[in-house]
Amino acid sequence: MALGESDRLATFYTREFGKVRGVAKSARRPRSRFGGGLELFTQGQLLFFETERSDLARVDSFDIVHPFQAAREDLERLMHGSWVVECLGRLSADRDPSPALYGLLLRTLRALEGPGPPSRAAFCFALRAVDLLGHRLRLDRCMECGKPSPPPARAARLDFAAGGLVCEPCARYGSDGVDLSGGAVAGLRRLRTVSWEEALGASLSPSLEAEMAGALEAQMARLIGQVPRTTRFRTQAGRPLGASR
Amino acid sequence: MAYYPEPVARLIDALQKLPGIGPKTAQRLTFFLLKRPADEVTALSDAIARVKAEIVNCSICFNVTEEDPCRLCTDPTRDLRLLCVVEEPNDLLAMERTGQYRGRYHVLLGALSPLDGIGPEDLRVRELLARLEVQPVEEVILATNPNVEGEATAIYLAKLLKPLVARITRIARGLPVGGDLEYADEVTLGKALEGRREMG
Ligand SMILES: [Zn+2]
Ligand SMILES: [Zn+2]
Repeated sequence: MALGESDRLATFYTREFGKVRGVAKSARRPRSRFGGGLELFTQGQLLFFETERSDLARVDSFDIVHPFQAAREDLERLMHGSWVVECLGRLSADRDPSPALYGLLLRTLRALEGPGPPSRAAFCFALRAVDLLGHRLRLDRCMECGKPSPPPARAARLDFAAGGLVCEPCARYGSDGVDLSGGAVAGLRRLRTVSWEEALGASLSPSLEAEMAGALEAQMARLIGQVPRTTRFRTQAGRPLGASR
Repeated sequence: MAYYPEPVARLIDALQKLPGIGPKTAQRLTFFLLKRPADEVTALSDAIARVKAEIVNCSICFNVTEEDPCRLCTDPTRDLRLLCVVEEPNDLLAMERTGQYRGRYHVLLGALSPLDGIGPEDLRVRELLARLEVQPVEEVILATNPNVEGEATAIYLAKLLKPLVARITRIARGLPVGGDLEYADEVTLGKALEGRREMG
């Protein structure tokens, strides 16, 4: 359908319908009935109508239940939250409901509002989201020879094409994947089994967390088919901007 | 689409690239233009060609202008101690309409947007820094849009400019969240400017 200049295209992730993309009429005008409801990270009640000529819904109303404001008023939180939203948006199909993913999104936004580091919230989201999206990687045994997963302190390769871990003797270097230390393999296995709160609060060394988060980011990028835009943003915002080129 | 004569298809295609215009509207506009007198259509195509040929971004503030530097940058009556940072040329015009601001401007030509992958290097931020180093100001007013992208831009700039500027302010929250600055009425925008608060 034609978008008027003051209309907005908005994407929602709903409990009942999964991802819904729709047009909100006149939403760019300051006194529109949508108010701040269409801002990023806003939980609300969505009322929409199907349109015959397009896969875009017509958004009738979106009443705010909770705006996750703290998650967007801090650049770090905004960056990690945006990455979460981008991954979910790009890896889920229109109208493919998953109450579990919906619940995970809400928990993640709550964690992003909390006092903990936003990077941990995003990492915990990714760890669970890949499972819920049907891309759980096997970490308990080698995908090639079937031997049980290496004991701690032994490195292995996370091979995305193989669907899980490949032990060192079996690993084909240059394959689509990332190398993981024994500690990271053990860490990922443990964090998958503990509760959400425990995962958020787990004490991890920064280097171990960075290694595990990096592996998940690589898996997300592979599933999406390219480096997420939010990752590109984070790289840019993180490096110094000199006054001269 | 295969049934249209080539020039018709080409215009429909070109119009569809405009924001807010889908295939249906592009077709309607094309057939509307076909029915209009030739001189009227020529005037339109001239206007489009001329705007691109004659309008540039001011090399100082990046506002759109016929002459570089723009009139606002060369006007000796403007207050050099104040610099107002906006996202787009339209926002600058909105600020001018309030009649309450007498300083100068810097147009970023966008806002930070993690989801669109628009980072600081995609905006005129580097140029803003260079400008402030050459010509320091007493106050920078961050008048980016009252939405997530505008807020993120303001937060980023406040931190970045802190070592360079004594006073960094953000226009007041009186503006409805989620809207675009250019749609705000003069009174609301004037009040938001008046009620600006210090950042960081
Ligand atoms: Zn093996
Ligand atoms: Zn200028």
